[in-house]
Order: sequence, then C-alpha cells, then structure tokens
Amino acid sequence: MAMTPTEAALFEAAGPRARRRILIGTIATSLVFAALVVWLLMRLDANGQFDPQYWDLFASVNTWKFLGAGFIGTIRASLSAGVIALVGGLVLMFGRISGIAPVRWLATAVIEFVRGTPTLLFIYFFFLVPSQFGIHMSTYWMVVIPVSFYASAVLAEVYRAGVQAVPAGQREAAESLGLGRWQVYSSVILPQMFRIIVPTMVTQLVVVVKDTTFGYVVTYPEMMQNAKVIVANSTSMLPVYLIVALIYILVNYAISRFARWLSSRSDVKILVA
Amino acid sequence: MHQDSLWGTMSYLAGRFGHDYVMSYGVTLRIGVISFIIGLLLAILLTMARISPIPPLRTAISGYVEIFRNIPVLCLLLFIVYGLPEVGLTLDYEPSVIAALVLVSSAFGCDNLRSGINAVDPGQIEAARSLGLSFGGITRSIVLPQALSTVVQPMVTLFISVIISSSTGALVPIAHNELTGLVSQINTKEALGIPTFVVAALFYVATGLVIGAIGRIIEKRAVIWR
Repeated sequence: MAMTPTEAALFEAAGPRARRRILIGTIATSLVFAALVVWLLMRLDANGQFDPQYWDLFASVNTWKFLGAGFIGTIRASLSAGVIALVGGLVLMFGRISGIAPVRWLATAVIEFVRGTPTLLFIYFFFLVPSQFGIHMSTYWMVVIPVSFYASAVLAEVYRAGVQAVPAGQREAAESLGLGRWQVYSSVILPQMFRIIVPTMVTQLVVVVKDTTFGYVVTYPEMMQNAKVIVANSTSMLPVYLIVALIYILVNYAISRFARWLSSRSDVKILVA
Repeated sequence: MHQDSLWGTMSYLAGRFGHDYVMSYGVTLRIGVISFIIGLLLAILLTMARISPIPPLRTAISGYVEIFRNIPVLCLLLFIVYGLPEVGLTLDYEPSVIAALVLVSSAFGCDNLRSGINAVDPGQIEAARSLGLSFGGITRSIVLPQALSTVVQPMVTLFISVIISSSTGALVPIAHNELTGLVSQINTKEALGIPTFVVAALFYVATGLVIGAIGRIIEKRAVIWR
C-alpha cells in the first residue's frame, strides 16, 4: 500500500540501520502472518472443514442458482431503495432548508428521528405492525421501505452539504438575472450539487446493500436469507457463510472503489454525512 | 389491541413492560459502549501498524480495514455465531455481538484516525524535523493534536452508529434482550403496535442526540488545545 505524502513525511529517509530494522520487521511480520495462515488452515483441517461433504454443495449448479437468485434479490432491493431515497432525500432536504419554520422543524425532526433509529427497528415495524391492522404487505416492501427511509434521511444531509458547497456567487448571479426560486435550484444549484455529491451518493449505496441483509428477518429472498435456507438444508455452515461474506465484501469493495474513482476523476471530495 | 386510546396503551405499556424497556436499554448501552471502547483501542493499534514503514504490516492492516468496512454486520454476526463453532470456537451470544461490532468499529475507527493524520500538512512535519524535533516530538506535538481534533466528529458518529448497530443483536437469542429484540418480542406476544416501536426509537434517538452534544463539547475543547 502506497504511502500518502503525510505518511511519507513522518519518516526520514532511512539510513543503513533503519533500513536493516525495516527489513527485519518485514521478515518478522511476514513470518507471523504466514504462521497465522498455516495455523488457521490447520485449525480448519483439524475440525474436518476441508471434508468434501462440506464443500460439494458448491459443485452443484443449483446452489449457485439459488445464491444467484438471492444476489439478484439484493441488487433489486438495493436499487429500488436507492432510487426512492434519491427523491425522498431531495424532498427532505428542501424541507430542511425551507423558509417556512414549521416545515423546517418537521423535516429536521424526521431526519434526526430516522437517522437515529436502527433500520432493523423499522423492519420489525413493517414486519409486525401492518398485519396487526389487517394490512398485507409483501416482504419486498418490508425491506425496501425501511432501507429507503434511512437512505433518504442520510441523503437529505448529503444533498444539503452539496448545496452548501455550491459557491454563493452562483445563487446570487442567478437571482440577479431574475430567476425565480424554483429556477435558481433547478437550473443552477441542483446540477452543480449533483456533480459534487455523486461520489458520496455511491458510497451510501454500500450502506443500502448492507441494510438489505435484514431481508433475513422478513424472509425476503435476498442473499443472506437464501444463505439461511441453504444452511438449513445442508450440513455446511462455515463454507456457506464464508462464501456469502466474501461476495458481500467484494461487491461493497467494488462500490467503494468506484466511488473513489469517481471522486478522483471529477476532483470532488467524498463528503462525510 | 388491548386498549383503545393511545394513552391507555402507553400506560399499559409502561406498567407491564416499563422495567423491561429500561433493562433492555441498559443491555443496548452496555454492548454499544464496550464495543466502541475496545474498537477504539484496537483502531489506535491498527493505525500505528497501518502507517508504519513496514510494507507487509501496512498491506495486512489495509486488508483488515477493507474486509470489516465492507462486510454487513449481520453477515459477520451470523458467521461468528453459526460458523465459528464449527471450528471449535463458541462464544456466548452477547460476546458474539460485541466481537462483531469491535471488528467493524475498529476498521472504521482506523480509517478515521488515518484520515485525521493525513489531514496534517506534510510541510508542517518537514518544518518540525528541520527544527530538530525527533520522531516522538513530531508525533506528540505536531501530528496527534491536529489529528485528534479533526477525528472527534467522525468518532462520535461512529459511536452512535455502533449503538444503533447493536440492534443486530436482536437476531440472535441474547438472554437479556437488547432494545430492538425486546420490541419484536413484545409484538410477537401481544400486538401492541406502534407505541412499542416509538418508545424504543425515542430511546435510541435521545441517546444519539446526547452523545452528539457531548461530542460537540469535546470537539470545541480539542480545538482550543491546538
């Protein structure tokens, strides 16, 4: 991993003694890590985790088909929640910066409430409460609505940071040209805001993907839920959870890398929401 | 529904489950605070290794951070609870939740600390070195004071999200239920509806607001220290 300029500045150019120490450190840590890996593999082997009985379900096409269906469920729920949040966040943001005080208070309260409450609590809410009133809801919406709630509240704050990052002169110039409030936003501020926040929006997609794992609770067929079904029908726990964890990590890592690439390409920082 | 009016439901709820709510909130706080503190200490160690000039150490810590930043907490928790016993490592449920949150929060904490350190202008470090300060002196009086003050806000956010994430514990049978688990339990026993959720949510939101307020005070102090 490359050093950043600050990290590089922390350490002086190494002399012969420091170079030797770094070399010793490199060898020592490499040995420790190698030993760790060997110990881990031995531990797995000692518990019979390499037995074919635990792994041969991955040789079957059906396992992958089922996991793949779960993966598509995850993507479907994530994208729906993401799209809803794009709009929901914008509505909340306009409420948050509204000139009408009660609207502003309400939007602020909603944002703080949703951001401060676990998404899982909302999932349980939509899982348990509508049925108490005799309302039938599909498991898909039980996942998508709560996940989009949280994402909307976070995006509202991201949008707001983006609006603030647009230079004030832009608004003043637009107003002095005689544009109305709506036009100032729609043709001057929002287009620039979106350019600023696109990388941040992409990083928020990671949170959305993570939140859809709560499909596990309401039995919506996303990847975590489908993994649960596979585990229930086989003897292999560790391999299934390991593979699923790896897929999640790779997907989210790819999304974060994409966000970082967007951020460096368009030279805008990823905002912290 | 047991009671018709909202007030009736609330007083029934307070009488029948008030004690449970307070106990569960205690469990939520306990899990959150323990996980965050251990996570923070681990994050400091990880960051030291992460910025050390030893390449394999840096690579390994980067890998650790990417893994635990990107894994969903639920996925990690299920792995710890149902996967690890297969290799003879069985933790009780609450330690499992804490372990999952420690792994995740240490990764995010390490990232926060590292970006705090990288916010320090390299020119300042070079200037300090040319004035003859040692490595320890540079770290103590130039890097850490600035890094720590920029890191307060993200760490406060992390603390709040660790407390919120402790709700994932509702999905494994914790003996003393935490807040979210309690609400689902109440609603499977008696359909008390919306108020049960609102009360729990207010506990979480209030906790977040209080921590946020304390964080802002600390941040102000940290700025003065500079």
